[in-house]
Amino acid sequence: EEREKRERLRDLAVFERLYGNPRQSSPNLAVKKFCRTISVKTLQDSDVRPLSVLEDTLNYLCNLLDSTEHSFEVVHDFIFDRMRSIRQDLSMQNISCSRVVSMYERMVKFHIISQHKLRRCSGSNISSLSYLNMEQLMKALATLYNLYEANRTSESIFENEAEFFSFYVLLHLDSKTQGTGETLSLWFRHVPSHIMKSIEMYFARKILRYFKLGFYKNFIHTTESEASYLQYCIIEPSINEVRALAISCVNYGGYKPQPFPLLALSKLLMMKECDVESFCNDSGLQTSVDEEGNNFLPTKQTTLIHPKGGLHKYYPLESERFERNCEFYMMTYVECLTYGEGVLLVDFKSDLLRTRYGSIMWNYDLRK
Amino acid sequence: MASSYLSMGEAHRRVTDFLNRFSDAVSSQDAKSLCLIFSISSNPSFLLSLSDALITFQDASRVIRQADRYSQYADILLPLFRALQSYRLTNLVESYQAFEKAANAFTQEFRNWESAWALEALYVIAYETRILAERADRELSSNGKTPEKLKGAGSFLMKVFGVLAGKGSKRVGALYVTCQLFKIYFKLGTVHLCKSVTRSIETARIFDFEEFPLRDKVTYMYYTGRLEVYNENFSAADHKLSYALNHCNPWKERNIRMILKYLIPVKLSIGILPKTSLLEKYNLTEYNNIVLAFRRGDLRLLRHALQEHEDQFLRSGVYLVLEKLELQVYQRLLKKIYIIQKQKDQNKAHQIKLDLIVRALKWLEIDMDVDEVECIMSILIYKNLVKGYFAHKSKVVVLSKQDPFPRLTGKVIN
Repeated sequence: EEREKRERLRDLAVFERLYGNPRQSSPNLAVKKFCRTISVKTLQDSDVRPLSVLEDTLNYLCNLLDSTEHSFEVVHDFIFDRMRSIRQDLSMQNISCSRVVSMYERMVKFHIISQHKLRRCSGSNISSLSYLNMEQLMKALATLYNLYEANRTSESIFENEAEFFSFYVLLHLDSKTQGTGETLSLWFRHVPSHIMKSIEMYFARKILRYFKLGFYKNFIHTTESEASYLQYCIIEPSINEVRALAISCVNYGGYKPQPFPLLALSKLLMMKECDVESFCNDSGLQTSVDEEGNNFLPTKQTTLIHPKGGLHKYYPLESERFERNCEFYMMTYVECLTYGEGVLLVDFKSDLLRTRYGSIMWNYDLRK
Repeated sequence: MASSYLSMGEAHRRVTDFLNRFSDAVSSQDAKSLCLIFSISSNPSFLLSLSDALITFQDASRVIRQADRYSQYADILLPLFRALQSYRLTNLVESYQAFEKAANAFTQEFRNWESAWALEALYVIAYETRILAERADRELSSNGKTPEKLKGAGSFLMKVFGVLAGKGSKRVGALYVTCQLFKIYFKLGTVHLCKSVTRSIETARIFDFEEFPLRDKVTYMYYTGRLEVYNENFSAADHKLSYALNHCNPWKERNIRMILKYLIPVKLSIGILPKTSLLEKYNLTEYNNIVLAFRRGDLRLLRHALQEHEDQFLRSGVYLVLEKLELQVYQRLLKKIYIIQKQKDQNKAHQIKLDLIVRALKWLEIDMDVDEVECIMSILIYKNLVKGYFAHKSKVVVLSKQDPFPRLTGKVIN
């Protein structure tokens, strides 16, 4: 019924169009939209989708995540809305079993990866998309924590629970961006003890400590060596902030007759040397060159500025571990999103993965 | 829990006695008597004997309606009787529900009374609402149900607050109710709800903070001080908790201990150490090693102390505050190294090799490389904990000849 109405109104998303026709869809393509106002009185049983249908819908949406036909904003916008509709159907039916836990985990993962990818997009509406995405991330995460609690029995263990709790800590590194959430000090009070003692939480708390104390070297290097892909996606925006702090400290306390070598800075901050130079320039600082062509940052400059928020261009982490595995992280994560398998925390066996993906492609090629 | 045998006559007498007591108290504006009447949770004997009578008698409503002087308060008395009965039979959920109805009816009457004569009784009502709700929730939890009575108590007390928040002599009661609300919100963990109440108290023009009773002001400052600690506003936290400490009754040792539990971490973060005697007197031994680590610049001891009492510190919410003290412990360590060097060679003392610091840390069982140490030195300098500069090429930190370790007192590290 909704499909017909939207066909008439031409309110079909790109993914729902049959052969690109904005006026036509099909039961396979059309996905229920998020509805802001629902009147319970006129709601019928047929309007709300049962759990297995919702699971299939979620699978379908996750498959779209790596679609290359359209720009990421379009992909994100569609999946964002339709997932929200799934959550709406779930909460209307008050379903909270362990299958829902798995669904929410996948949706939270989507929001985290989206946040990461949106940062690399440009466009006038990116910042509002980002903001809304973050809002839904927090809401879905909060619901997920309630679901864990509701499904906690002496036998059940949710494999990913500790990692999902670590996300909360990493999302609240900067106490100023709290919003209406609880401060970490309060939040820690009701985290179950076994979660607090997990590896993932210890990592997150270590990162929090480095952030609060301003230990920029430890912050960046520990992230590089220990963060999982999803944890990295969340920490990413703070990395720039920490780099800016490092530059400020070096400029403030560095011995003026000994300008700081950019090579050393690049290792410290895990950036390419040319990126360090650009970063310094973004912060209003000049760099210098010596006779042998080595680059330096002279200290005690008075022109240091602190560009707010997104003005600092993000330079990716120069990391062998991430570079090697980034594509595979993405592909494996999409796979995990699609089939709901547990997310691996440790390094992937990339050779095995390469072989596997290679053989999948070869197989596909044969069957074509 | 069986009530002893009562004759119907005796039961009837007890009920009417109570009703007379109530209406006398109201007509003569005797707040103290009313207070006793509502103090269910403290189990005064006359209430216990009344409850027995009610269980035996079973028809209290008829008695209430018999005379005008009682029937006008039927809305209060009937649910109060139900509450007493249920409480006696340990049906705590039903007891709370009935009590809330009685409390609500009383609040409406209170609103109609011109003067604030019954304020003390209203305090008792607020207190009992909270306590009975807590007990009801415990009963619900133990039966596997969701505890929601305390949350309801919070909503009810907000209504009571609204009744008191007006011009006139009743408004001095608002702070007491606020404190009851704080206790509820802290217990439930819904601490963000405190904001709306504090905003009313602090910004509404009808309230003058100095007018409130001292006891309530101390409690208020204690809770809002704790909120400032959680939000890491340390100078505000210092101000509020110190107020609470300075104005707290010196005989109330338990209260002083509670205040100190939060004030000590705050004072530590501005470089003020408590005396060991203070820690001993109020049994705050969990801070002993932390203070010692601070004095000695002993990072290993700090980390060990945090680990040892981790659960306790996490529960009270001061863990993150204490973790941040690490910077100051580094400062003290550096100062120790400087003093030792000064004894060897006065002139060269202010130049400290980074390698030396690495070795000192290794001796404290902390593994760090030269880059990490340089990073920490640069942060200490940046935050003005150390005056001087660091030279990357020479791998040395050079302290200022004058006042290289500025005192922190008064300034907060941020």
